[in-house]
Amino acid sequence: MLIEKSSTWKEGFIERLEEREPWDNWTLYNMSYDVVKTNLITDFTGLQSPKYLPNLTPLRHQLEVAETVIERMNGKAILADEVGLGKTIEAGLILKEYLIRGLVKKALILAPASLINQWIDELNNKFYIPAIPYKKNYNLDNYSVVVMSMDTAKKSPHKEVIYAQDYDMIIIDEAHKLKNHKTKNYEFVQSLKKKFCLLLTATPIQNDVFELFYLISLLKPGHLGSYETFQSSFSANKLTWEHDDYLKELVNQVMVRNRRQDTGIEWTQRRVQTIPIQFTKEEKEVYEMIEGLKNVSSVFSSAFSMITLQKEMCSSKEATYLTLNKMRQECVDSEEIDYVETLIQKLMALEVNTKAEKAYELISKANDKVIIFTEYRASQAYLQWYLGSKGITSVLFNGKFKKSKRDWMKQLFKEQAQVLIATESGGEGINLQFCHHVINYDLPWNPMKLEQRIGRVHRLGQEHDVHIYNLAIEGTIEDHILDLLHAKIDVFEKAVGNLDDILSTLKESM
Amino acid sequence: MYPQQIHSYLHKFFNENNCQIVKNHDHYMTVQLTIEMDKKIMNRPYYWKYLENTNGVPNPAQLTFITDQNKLVENIKGEVVHFGSPRLNQLFRATKDLGAFVHMYEQVDHQPQNKAILTPWLGVNYKVSYYSDQTKEMLYSLGMNLITGHLVDGFQERLNNLNLESSMSEYAFDLTAIIKPLRALERLDLAIENNINADNHSWAEDAKKRWQKDREVLEHFYEGVEDKPECYEMEKRALDEQYESRITIEIVNGGLFYLKTLIN
Repeated sequence: MLIEKSSTWKEGFIERLEEREPWDNWTLYNMSYDVVKTNLITDFTGLQSPKYLPNLTPLRHQLEVAETVIERMNGKAILADEVGLGKTIEAGLILKEYLIRGLVKKALILAPASLINQWIDELNNKFYIPAIPYKKNYNLDNYSVVVMSMDTAKKSPHKEVIYAQDYDMIIIDEAHKLKNHKTKNYEFVQSLKKKFCLLLTATPIQNDVFELFYLISLLKPGHLGSYETFQSSFSANKLTWEHDDYLKELVNQVMVRNRRQDTGIEWTQRRVQTIPIQFTKEEKEVYEMIEGLKNVSSVFSSAFSMITLQKEMCSSKEATYLTLNKMRQECVDSEEIDYVETLIQKLMALEVNTKAEKAYELISKANDKVIIFTEYRASQAYLQWYLGSKGITSVLFNGKFKKSKRDWMKQLFKEQAQVLIATESGGEGINLQFCHHVINYDLPWNPMKLEQRIGRVHRLGQEHDVHIYNLAIEGTIEDHILDLLHAKIDVFEKAVGNLDDILSTLKESM
Repeated sequence: MYPQQIHSYLHKFFNENNCQIVKNHDHYMTVQLTIEMDKKIMNRPYYWKYLENTNGVPNPAQLTFITDQNKLVENIKGEVVHFGSPRLNQLFRATKDLGAFVHMYEQVDHQPQNKAILTPWLGVNYKVSYYSDQTKEMLYSLGMNLITGHLVDGFQERLNNLNLESSMSEYAFDLTAIIKPLRALERLDLAIENNINADNHSWAEDAKKRWQKDREVLEHFYEGVEDKPECYEMEKRALDEQYESRITIEIVNGGLFYLKTLIN
């Protein structure tokens, strides 16, 4: 066994014996001994960190996660609590524990740019961990805990600078962004030395079980076997399942996940409704003309553009027009152009947006603050205009806003406006517990995006039941999206565990 | 440490270091630092360098510490100091620096006939830490009689009830050490190592098992891969570092003690 000793004290002692330095004060000598005794870590197990954090009262499930990760998972884990249960607190507790125990000297935290300030703030103020945000000219040798965005970290010259450091702990927030193993992000993290490592994500599976495989292989290569064995066990079809109990057990060895209901905290209810909507005759006609486009012109033959237009038509004519108009420029023969022109005319002649009307109806009935999520900027602008014409005040929100603007918009929503209209990218990193109604005006392909949206509102601190309205137009692509969402939720639940209601009420009614 | 303990700790610390306590309330205090203390804890070397170069008038800082924010009713601005706060950790380190070496004599009352005989001892407090992917620390206080070579455990606790001062009273005389202090230090170091060797090290065995298990998983992942990529080596190194067991011995403080009281 390696025993390390330092001769520093002996050298100082010699100085005193030879009377080159004065002896110290007896009271301070005793105080010093008492301090060491008080701070002594007398057990391998158990958490030291809570007693150093008098201003933080961690919840029971957060302490349990920290203990489990350190004692059972040896400091390498996926923290996959549902949105809003405090994964940052759990990560902070674990990091603090390792710092106190002297097992981590240097740590790197990778987070989306929009969350960097939040990390800095929490680590410094709640955990007294002197974390700094990375700036280009910083010499990383001088900083023990650094927070930076994945986008910066993966690029040269930052990448090389990071590789040259000897980090004891790596924490990656929003780790579902690593689901694709062919990306630069994945490659970058794969080449990082991960002695202790935490991956934080509420949504370890977004589409298929291979995402979980790649995430775990990043953390602990081999835990789920090699790719070939994994693939053959879990069949070519990504959406079916045979060995789910065995897989779940393996997954649980490296992943902790608390659901709201496991936390012992009284959570308010989620009331999810899927609201079927029927197009007007005119809207339906336009939608069918869009479907007919692929037979008329090769410009529209790709499945992708077709799906985009169909989805946009389910949202607003404004969103549809932007795409359609762009594609019209590419049409050459007159038959094509005629068809598209007629379509655009009919589109622009539409006077009613049934979905927007439904949204208005829901907002009036709620008579309370409401968040609307849409996938399109054009729909976002339209909805603001439309609601304004009905006397409803709203503010816009999207993820590209700077932190100060986001805070300002949040403030406006809280104090003045009734409705906040957000695009998808606005989902992460804002907490709006004062609001209890969420309208999913457009449905994303990915159920975890829905979960992220709902999590803005249904999180710790919410005191009311939360109402979620998923709007879907019957007889359109949105039927298909709903089916796919259900299938994906099923995969998630088999590998990871149950999900709180996202769509369930519709499931029962189907 | 509770707020009250922290309060009395700060009070004692600054008092012992000749810093004037300007105000002392139940939940906060204001302290005038000395120049030495300012240099030690204020972290502003350029200010002091500048001052010394320009022969300026030194103006060491005055600090207000709030030791119990919850009980504070007064409108006071100051640094909140609690267990775990960076300031307290810094003062702990300063205490360690300033209380590392002592040279103490047991005090003797007036003696009618012969002077009291004081026996020299070397006392050393050791902190021993076990590290793998987990940590455990132990504190040992050893003392050695420099005349007989007798070694005692729990030395610090035995000093608790004795009246010790930094100079010898006139009613006492001290024996000259037969065993040289540095030689005694070596023997105490050896005793600590023997102590460690005799301890149960199943913790290291367990860490090794965890390491082996993880290592097997990793090998399984790259089984049959001929040219193993660089990240395989990286992972291997990370596992070695994660589970490698090691032990550190650190001397907290120690010193020479001249004692009338028999210790065995």
